[in-house]
Amino acid sequence: MKRFSILNAPKHVLLWIYAIASLSPLVLMVLNSFRTTKQMATDPLGLPDGLNMGSYQKAWITASFETYFLNSMFVTITSVFIGTAVSLLAAYVFARSKRRVFAVLEGLFLSGLLLPVFLAILPIFYLFDALGLISNLWGLIMVYSALSIPFSSFILAAFFRQLPIDLEEAARIDGAGYFRTFFFILLPLVRPAIATVVVFRFVPIWNDFFYPLMLMRDRDAYTLPVGLTRFFGEYQTDWATLFAGLTITTIPLVILFIVASKQLVSGLTAGMSK
Amino acid sequence: MRKRLSALGLVGVAALVLTGCAPAAQETTETADTQTSATAEAVDPVTLTMWSWRTEDVEKYNTIFDVYEAANPGVTVEFEAFLNTEYNQLLATGLEGSDGPDLAMVRAYGGVQALIEAGQLMAIDGVVDTGSVEQSLLAAATGRTDGSLYGVPFATQTLQVFYNKEIFDELGLSEPTTWDEFTALNEAISAGGYTPLALGAKDSWMLPIFHEIVGAARYGGPEFRDGLLAGTTDFNDPDYVASIQIVNDMTKYMVDDVIGVSYADSQIQFTAGTAAQYPGGSFELGSFTDSGLDLGVYLVPTPPNSVSTKPISAGWADGSFAVNKTTENEDAALDLMNWLASPEFGQLFVDEVKQFSAIKGLTYSDPVMKEMDELFASGPTAYINLVDMRYGEPVGSTLIGEGIQSMFLGDMSATEVATKLQDGIATWFTPGA
Amino acid sequence: MKTKSKSHGAMPVRIGMAFVIPALILFSVFIVYPLTTALGYSFFSWKGTLRGDFIGLENYVTIFTKPPFDEALPNAFSHNLLLFAGAMVFQNSIGLLLAVTLHKIGRLKRLFQTMFTLPYLVSPLVVGYLWSLMLSPLFGPVNATLKAIGLEELALPWLGDPTTAIWAIVFITAWQWIGFPMLLYGAALGGIPEEVTEAAEIDGANGVKKFRLITLPLLLPALGTVTILTFIGAMEAFPIPYAVGGSTGSPAGATDVMALLFYRTAFESGDIGSIGTSSALAMLLFLFIFGVAVVLRTSLARAERKIYG
Repeated sequence: MKRFSILNAPKHVLLWIYAIASLSPLVLMVLNSFRTTKQMATDPLGLPDGLNMGSYQKAWITASFETYFLNSMFVTITSVFIGTAVSLLAAYVFARSKRRVFAVLEGLFLSGLLLPVFLAILPIFYLFDALGLISNLWGLIMVYSALSIPFSSFILAAFFRQLPIDLEEAARIDGAGYFRTFFFILLPLVRPAIATVVVFRFVPIWNDFFYPLMLMRDRDAYTLPVGLTRFFGEYQTDWATLFAGLTITTIPLVILFIVASKQLVSGLTAGMSK
Repeated sequence: MRKRLSALGLVGVAALVLTGCAPAAQETTETADTQTSATAEAVDPVTLTMWSWRTEDVEKYNTIFDVYEAANPGVTVEFEAFLNTEYNQLLATGLEGSDGPDLAMVRAYGGVQALIEAGQLMAIDGVVDTGSVEQSLLAAATGRTDGSLYGVPFATQTLQVFYNKEIFDELGLSEPTTWDEFTALNEAISAGGYTPLALGAKDSWMLPIFHEIVGAARYGGPEFRDGLLAGTTDFNDPDYVASIQIVNDMTKYMVDDVIGVSYADSQIQFTAGTAAQYPGGSFELGSFTDSGLDLGVYLVPTPPNSVSTKPISAGWADGSFAVNKTTENEDAALDLMNWLASPEFGQLFVDEVKQFSAIKGLTYSDPVMKEMDELFASGPTAYINLVDMRYGEPVGSTLIGEGIQSMFLGDMSATEVATKLQDGIATWFTPGA
Repeated sequence: MKTKSKSHGAMPVRIGMAFVIPALILFSVFIVYPLTTALGYSFFSWKGTLRGDFIGLENYVTIFTKPPFDEALPNAFSHNLLLFAGAMVFQNSIGLLLAVTLHKIGRLKRLFQTMFTLPYLVSPLVVGYLWSLMLSPLFGPVNATLKAIGLEELALPWLGDPTTAIWAIVFITAWQWIGFPMLLYGAALGGIPEEVTEAAEIDGANGVKKFRLITLPLLLPALGTVTILTFIGAMEAFPIPYAVGGSTGSPAGATDVMALLFYRTAFESGDIGSIGTSSALAMLLFLFIFGVAVVLRTSLARAERKIYG
């Protein structure tokens, strides 16, 4: 029932107005990446004259962004994968079992959400130092995977709960084990939830500068955000290169989101046709 | 209920046990070897790592250290810079861990005490020759409780007013020498369609700096400081209060809603040419020169009823080089420290990094820098709220910064701001210490 | 006997644990361990990173009684609560509105969803700078636009005035996070079977009535999830207040929040014992959020049971 009547017009207008407001800081960021710092100092909101790729070159080559990009990819993809996988397994049990022990564990996992990010840094630093994981990307991956568990298990459990029990019971009657039921029946049904969790974990992990800054002391182990911090000086900031670096950092996220939102839609329609 | 309590108890015990995994009071093993070799003997290749927060100076330091490496074959100095705002934490954990730097830049005055008290820095009394360093600045790297020296100050900052020569020429203005001239100057700039003073009041740390620039003469700079430290006066002194009031009076020469202007914005005001003057620190010189401005500097003339008879420039040491106590390259590190305390380094620092060095007797090729140096020498004082008032919590500069913000908003009077400052630091500051 | 329960009474604990163990291991090492260690830190005195003597609850007493904490703590705390209220009113209700509007909008749905969620992707390092520029009373397009369309009285120094600054943060946070409730509600809306809404429409309920009586109750789990996560996010807000107001919560502490207080105590304090006091602060925050989250969760579970049985 998609009526393209006049009544829809004001809706569309308002949506577009908000969209423009929403995107303007981003547009500002991209436009400024084509200017020089000096230009920004004399005319902060001026338009770039021409496509000056100088800052991009500087960021990619001189500032080793290529290495950082690969590191970020490796760390983020692996962390999201591990975090989501272990959370899916746990969420299934939380949603379906009524045993006390699992209710307690679910509450425990949820309380992990309350952990303020910087509180953990000293203990984790000493732990890593003792284990020799400083400047080791796998250490970072372990931390991020663990930090994803509270949020992911929370969301996934909520979605698992919403699914009717009939399919599982049918599968059990047919003799399928718990894991098979989980993997082949339920997993496809929570695809929109998985897409949501992936997006909302990928982005903060990709953009996090604090943990890699503290734990990755070796320059080859830097991720993109840490690379970005090197453009911030004590009193002066290299704005031009920073914005170019930022644009490079943001593009994969945009691509991810576009792909993931497709999954969200297809997952929704699949979920509805039972 | 009992289950809950015992669970809680279990957690508490676990917490105490696990805390043991953090380094507790260590038994320090004194390395007896304090011999320093002054000659450039051929040694086994040594790489010294140095950490810093000066991300904007990495290339410049590499150039400077090339000179040292050429004179000391076999020694390589690796200079690494990290994000300024997180640097303190990075350094504290780095010095603790097994992978720390041999040397590091450390913060000045109160900012370095935590590292000293934790025993992470090497005392350098007697092993590093600091004769060429401006002696009053050594306080920046001295331990408050034990009085030992732990570092060599590397940079100093001074405060003054920068102005745009082009605008001054256009309006036919010249540097003021009396307070009346200063007032007339600002009025003329306003009339000419420019903003007289650029200030980023949103970022509170700029406000005590501005206070020193316009008010230091009013409260009497060095004499006041001596009295404050000896306990014969405090921040409630009427002259000090009057100096704060001057800050408020100056807002008529700034944009409306100056409280909403950020530090970055205020810099843009100046570099984009909408404001004629920028009261600021020598740390601004680099970015102002880069933006192509034709700069002049002067010190604010003495306000009416000033305690001081001449204009004053406040200054401070902005950081020091220090040695990691657990370094494996002690000799090489101390050799480098001696070089960092030498006029050779000082001159290189001035020429490359274009900031003031803590070393005495250097020459400045940049005319603006030369003038700033002369102005400072003509009426020096210390930026009290940074130099003396950061040894405890709450910190003086934050107190007065927030107070001035409230004053701009009309919520506090100058007297109340002074009281806020005095009461805050009185919780930890003891005069005569 | 009640209607169908949605659980496997029969799943053996052994198998359940096998599913949960991987997460549990990761969680214990990297979350439980640091948390309990940090709790331990709060009971000691410190000299920089060197642990001193055991001092029991002294750090906790300090943060309630000694300046600057005695004023800063309640001040920051009240701002967190305000952020939560603001987020519920603006961020979540507009997010719901957008989700509902986009639900039946046809082909452009994904385009709009993407555009509204894109702010979430901007690195926290520069959100503050970008918005400081946008809201700058001197150079910013926001005030320039307001003046151009004749609304000059509204061209305030947003980030400089204590009354408006905290609201600026509410709006910037909403700008960045609106995609989250929008997407969650959107997914939940998609999960409401067509038959239910169609049946309601046949019975004569449309528009607001349909929304209130059918859609809203069925969205309750999603509403609950979003509320809890918003609460936690508001209590722990850091990147945006830090970027906009700096670590002191300019102007004059009007944008100070608990996480900022923790940050400057831990990293910028002149006090060499700050690891102890900052850990105590963080513990306090944690306990408070924990308490409220538990209460929220139980009342939500109760409400859910009423609807779903």
